[in-house]
This record gives sequence, structure tokens and C-alpha cells, in this order.
Amino acid sequence: MRSTWTHSIRGKLTAITMLTSAAAMLLACALFVAQHVVDERAELDMQLQSFGRLIAAQSEAALTFGDRKAAEEALSALRANPSFLAGRIYTDRGVPFATYRNGTGVAVPAVPRTADGIIRRDGLVEVFLPITRDGERIGTVCIASGMKDQRDRLKSDIQSMALILLVCLLAAFILSWRLQRSISGPVVELARVADLVSRNKSFSVRAVHTAGHGDDEIDNLMIGFNSMLAELEQRDQKLVTYQTQLEMTVAQRTTQLTLANEELLVAKNAAENVAAINAQLARQSALILNSATDGILGINLGNEATFINPAAVRMLGMTLDDFRGTTIHATIHHSHPDGKMFPEEECANTLAMRRGQPVANADDTFWRGDGTNFPVEYSSTPMLDEDGNHLGAVVVFRDVTERRAIEKLKSEFVSTVSHELRTPLTSIRGALGLLSSGLLGTVAEKGQRMLEIAVANTDRLVRLINDILDIERVESGKVELTRGRIDAQTVVNLAREGLQSMADQEGIRIVVEPVAGTLWGDSDRVIQTLTNLIGNAIKFSPRNTTVTLSGTAGATEFTFRVADQGRGVPEEKLASIFQRFSQVDASDSRTKGGSGLGLAICQSIVTAHGGRIWAEKNEPAGSCFQFTIPLAVPSVETAAIESIDQAPIEEQDSTAQSVLVVEDDVDLARVMIAALEGHGIRTFHATTGAEAIHLTRLHAPSLIVLDLCLPDTDGFAVVSSLRQSEPLGHIPLLVYSALDVGSADQLRLCLGPTEFLTKSRGNMGDFESRVLSLLATVTKKDHRHAA
Amino acid sequence: MPPKQILVIDDENDIQEVARLSLQLTENWIVMSANSGAAGALLALSEEPDAILLDVMMPDMDGPSTLRVLQQQGATIPVIFLTAKVQPADRQKFMQLGVRGIISKPFDPLTLGQQIRAMLAWE
Repeated sequence: MRSTWTHSIRGKLTAITMLTSAAAMLLACALFVAQHVVDERAELDMQLQSFGRLIAAQSEAALTFGDRKAAEEALSALRANPSFLAGRIYTDRGVPFATYRNGTGVAVPAVPRTADGIIRRDGLVEVFLPITRDGERIGTVCIASGMKDQRDRLKSDIQSMALILLVCLLAAFILSWRLQRSISGPVVELARVADLVSRNKSFSVRAVHTAGHGDDEIDNLMIGFNSMLAELEQRDQKLVTYQTQLEMTVAQRTTQLTLANEELLVAKNAAENVAAINAQLARQSALILNSATDGILGINLGNEATFINPAAVRMLGMTLDDFRGTTIHATIHHSHPDGKMFPEEECANTLAMRRGQPVANADDTFWRGDGTNFPVEYSSTPMLDEDGNHLGAVVVFRDVTERRAIEKLKSEFVSTVSHELRTPLTSIRGALGLLSSGLLGTVAEKGQRMLEIAVANTDRLVRLINDILDIERVESGKVELTRGRIDAQTVVNLAREGLQSMADQEGIRIVVEPVAGTLWGDSDRVIQTLTNLIGNAIKFSPRNTTVTLSGTAGATEFTFRVADQGRGVPEEKLASIFQRFSQVDASDSRTKGGSGLGLAICQSIVTAHGGRIWAEKNEPAGSCFQFTIPLAVPSVETAAIESIDQAPIEEQDSTAQSVLVVEDDVDLARVMIAALEGHGIRTFHATTGAEAIHLTRLHAPSLIVLDLCLPDTDGFAVVSSLRQSEPLGHIPLLVYSALDVGSADQLRLCLGPTEFLTKSRGNMGDFESRVLSLLATVTKKDHRHAA
Repeated sequence: MPPKQILVIDDENDIQEVARLSLQLTENWIVMSANSGAAGALLALSEEPDAILLDVMMPDMDGPSTLRVLQQQGATIPVIFLTAKVQPADRQKFMQLGVRGIISKPFDPLTLGQQIRAMLAWE
């Protein structure tokens, strides 16, 4: 009950009102009492002073005359007021003169205070006043008063105040109790409704607006609360609607999800199958890349390697890490085969790769990680994504060291074999020729026939070897085409002239149609091709037919045609006829004297020129061979220069006299050495001044034959260098030079006994005799020394 | 008129012999022979024949080298190459060296003398 009371808004409002009223009234009462006390004291003080002055005036004379009685009479006036408890008059010396007592036992001090005025002590009020005559102090009067009266009055005042206070508080309580309802009523109502809402979870209740119809905050609160409730109720209803809808939607979606899930499961299974297939494919791809014998490099747009297969790692001696932060050109293509730097910006292939163009190169060089290189054949294919964007390139390369070696070996083999075969054939052919000629005596008729067969077949063998060598040299590129501007008419005419006699013999007419065009090629080779074709046409045509030569200039190439009216080439052989040893009739090689390589040579030559060759049927009979040669475009071809190898000079018998031949012309030196060795003289050979000095120190030859013009220095320097050394400074010298040596120079060239021979005028006989005579002087000297 | 003297330089003795026999029988010439460039050059310088039939491909010192040495030594003997090299480019190169003619191997022994005479404009 107490808690309801103290905690309820009503109790609080009443308490606030009561406390406020009580405090105000208590304050008012306290102030009133205080005022009363002050007033009382002031009145007492005034009474005391009035009486004091009165007594002082009355006792002036008594004091002057020492009349104590009169003084006491004056003091007895104090009886009029019972509050005055005692009084005394002192002389000017402070000696009590007269005394009054009320009978209460209260006494005034025996001596006056030094200062006049009112003193309060021990519940007494004392006043000291001077007694004067003619302005001169003659004594002091003192009156003491008690404060009992005042206290009594104060007490009764407080009692009546308390009564008034009580009455007022009662009235205030009744009023506040009645008035607080206007405020607490709505609040309590609101609390009740809020409690109901929270307890029933229902927003349908409303606060009843009972109090006045004012427009204060409480009313607004009430109205606001109700409208809030209304709104909440509305929301609640909406929420319920939404919830219902949501549940429906959820149910719907759940159905859909279930369906989708089922579909997903099917798709997942399918995807797993695809993934398995993909993984297998990836494994296969990796297996293919890893087991490929060709090197494979993946490069990005920056020309940096992004992939490298094991074959490439093996060939280059590098891993992908070695390619990081640099381009493939800088890593494996940085220099030419001769070691010269190959800047990336000059590399047409790199540029093409960057542009996304396919590149193929059959003859290039790659560099390994260890600084060595190897010849490669490579192709670069651009990598494109589905949208055709350029992503980089795949470079596939192959080490062709072995192939190059084999090609070289093959070419050398063919060349050597041709030469080696031809050499014995020369003897055979010569011997057979002489035998069959009858110059060595007559042979029986059958023997003669056999010799003729041998000669004819030797000739055939020689042709075959010539043709094999020819085709090999053209195909290996060993024979560079000496290209130039060729007039088509000229080559056709030349080819015709070369075969005219053969045609006449065979009864064939050659018709040359006028042709016009300037070609770019090797005229000898073009004539060779035409000659081969015309020769074939003549061979395979019956007598009294015509072979027609013609040609037309196209946009970039010139087409030659050789048409005959012979037996023609069967349809199925038209394509294969250019293969080696392919003939329409196997017996042709014997009856027509061909090697079976003529057309293959023609094809090689035409292909080397960048042209094409083919055969067609000629209407109405025979065949038509055609080939193309590019029309003239300016270009420069440099011819290779053949170098003559230098064979080392062999060591000779060490007991013989020795001669050092200093001669940079190796062939002349060979002849000189051959001449000297014919006399049993041991020789050394130096081609340079440095070599001469080295060999002189090494072998201390009996004689030096010195050429003055040497590649590194001249003969003068060699002589002056040898003079520095005591034993070498006396070696006999034959200066054998193309220069005439003047007398001043002769002095500078003296070593031991020295002679001079000029090359252009001398001959080998002179040279030999000079050498022998100089050596003879040495021998004599040696003999003398020995003796 | 004394018979012509011909020097045959070839590292193949058989070829030397065939050539010698051929020239002796068909032309009645005096034939000397050497089997290396160096020996041939020495012989040529000492004997001074009327013509030299010089093989091109020989070990150590080949035909062109021998020819050059002879030219340097001031020899004016006409030289004809006898060669198994049949390429037009080779022929052109050889002619530029100053040879009087080129006869390819294998040669016809019956016409060898004729060919030489034609090249040297001998009657």
C-alpha cells in the first residue's frame, strides 16, 4: 500500500504540493519569530537605557554630595519593572556607591566596566551609563535585567504559530489531493492502457479521455498515444497480411527450389562427367606437351615465356624461371650465330610475333643458358581467344644440328662420290676409247662390239653422275644462282641454237614464237631447263613433227611453254614425271640415252628460282611442259668466295740440313719446299714474321729464306729481331722477294752470309742453286769449326 | 719441226697413262707427267714444255694453285685444265685464272689431242 502510494503519480504529486507548502509556511513562521525576538530585544535595550539615564540624572546630586540615601532612592525606581533584577551606582573611582536588588540574588559587578554600553552575559543584560555634571564624569550607573519575560512571550508565539501551520497544511493537503487528479488521471489511464497492451499483446484498446477537454501536453500525449495505438494496430494487421502472403510465397519458392535442386543434381552429375573428361583431356594435353620431342614455348604479348615443355628445357638448358622478367628474344635469340648482338628491334620475327602474325623459320639460331648455340627450325603460331583477341604465341622449335650435319654429310658425300667415281671412269673411258679405236692393234669384230658397248655405257654412267651431282647441288643450295636480268627471247633462242643440230638429226622442226619479258634469274640455269625440255621433246617426238617454244609474261612471272606433237604423257604420270628416275617407259633410259634425272633437275632449278613447273596434255597430240620464272625485280646476290685450304707442312728427317722458308704465299712455298726436299733438305715453313721468329728459335735452321712482304710485319723487322740473339744472328739468309732491294736496305737485311734474289726474274733453278751454295758455306764453316 | 712436248699433271697415275698413250698415239707428242702440283710446277719450270694439261682437284696443291705459282715464276707455258668439275660457275672461274681451255673428265682419248690443238690454235 505504501509502495503504491509513494510510487503512484498521485502520491508524488500530493507529496510535492505538501512539501512545497510546508516549507514555505515554516520559512514564513521562522522569519516572523526572528523578527519578534529582534523587536523584543531592541525594546528591552531602550527601556534599560531610558531608566539608566533617568537614574543617572537623579543620582547626579546625590553623588556630588555623597548622599547614599538619595542615590538608593533613585535606584528604587527600578522596582517599577520586575524584569530589572539589580542596579548599582559607582563613584568616579569605580567604588560601588549605592546598590538595588530585586531579591532574586542576581548581582551586578563590583566594579564598572571600562566601556559604557550594553553587555549580555549569563542570561542577563547589563547596561553601563556615565553620570556627568557639567560635562565631567563623576560616576557610573549599571542596571541588570533578566530575559524571562521575553522568553515567555516567544514560547506562546511559537505555539500559536504551530497551530496555524497545522491548519494551513491540512487545507493544503485537501486542495492538492483534489487538484492533482487532473494531471494524474490521464497518466494513470495511459499506464493502464500500456499495461493492457503489453499484457494482451493487442493494440485494440484505447485510453479514455476523461479529464478536461483542454489542449495541454497531457491531452496531446493522450491523443498521440491513441493514434499511435491505432497505427500500430493497422501495422499489425498489415503484418499479418504480409506474413500470410510470405508464407504462401515461401511455399511456392520451396516448390521451385526443390525442382531446381533436382535439375541441379542432374546438371552436377553431367558437369562431373565433363570435368572428368576435361581432366583427362588436360592430362592428355600435358602428356602430349611433355612427351613432345619438339621444344614448345608459350609466350605472352610482352614476348615473355609463360610455358615451357620438358623438351624445350632439355634443349635450352633453361627452366621457366630463367625466362622471368625478360623476353624470349633476349634470352634465346640475343645474338647472331657469329656472336654479334642481335637487338630485339631488328628482329623481324619478334616483331611479327608481337603483331600476332605466324612466323616460320627453317634456318635460325637459338642460344642456350650456358652460352652455346644451336641451329633451329621454328614456327610461331599466334594464340587467340574465342573472341579473336591476340593473347600471345606458341613457338614450336626443333634442334636441327643433326639434320644440318646429315645434310652437309650428304652433300659432301654426293660431291665426293661424283668426283671419286669420275676419276676411275676417266681411266676406264680413256682405256676403252683407245682400245676400241684400234690404235693399239685390231680387235676381233665381236670384241670390238663389246668395247663399243662398254664405251657407250661408260658415257651413260658419266651422264648419270653429272646429273646426280647437278641436282644435288641445286637442291642443297650449294650452287648459288647468279641471278641477273634475262631477256626471255635471248634464252629461248640460245636454247634452240644448242639443240638445232640434234633436231635436224631427228627430223624435228623447232618453231620459236616471239616472246617478250625481262626475267630475274640465272640465265645458264634457265637455258639448261629449256634445253632439257626441248631435248626431251625432240627425243620423244616422231620424225617430221614440230616442237613449239612460246612464253607469256604475267603479273609477276613469266611462263615458258615447250609443246610437242609426240606420244604425250599419260594422264596418271603428269604429276609424277618430275620425280627422280621417273620415266614414262622404263626402256626409255636405254633407248633415248636419258639419265632419268632431267626433269627432276628442271624442277630443282625452277623451284630454286621461286617458280613452278608442270606438264599438260597438248591438243590434239603430244604434251606441253611449262614453267615459270619471276619477272625482274631489283635485288643483289653476292657470290660466295671459295677459300683454298692450307695443308700443314710435315716434319722431315732431323739429321738433314734444314731451311726455314718464310713465305706467305702457301703455294709458292710448296713449290720451293718441293724443290728443296728434292735435295734431301729438311724444311720448315712460316707464313708470318712472328711464326718465322718462333720457328727460328725452336729449330735454329741452317738457312732462312725470307720474303719481305709478310701479313703481320716485314722482313726487316724479322731480321732486326733475330739480330738481337747471338747464335741466331749468324744464320745465313736468302732474301727472296718480289721487290728489288737497294744497297742501303741490303745492309739492314744482313744476318749471317746474306744473298738477294728477286722473285719475278728468278726461276726455281736459280733459287735452288742459291740455297745449295749458301748451305755449302755453312757446311764448310761447320767443318772448320769441327776441325 | 720437232714434236710438241706436253706435261700432264694429275695425281692419278692411270689417267696420266691414258692421256700419255692417247696423245702419243694420236698426235705423236712427247708426253711428260707429274703426280702433284709442286712436282709438276718444278718440272714445268725446268723443262719448259709447249703445254701443260693440269688436273684441278689434287691433294695439297690443286690446279689453280699450281697455275698461280707458274704465273708468279714468270712461266708463259699455256695451261689447259683437265677437270671433273663440270659446273658452269667453275668453268667461268677457271677461265678467269688465265687457262687456255678446260677439258672435262672423262675425256675421249681419240679427240683429246684435237681438243688441245683447237684450244692452243696449233696446226
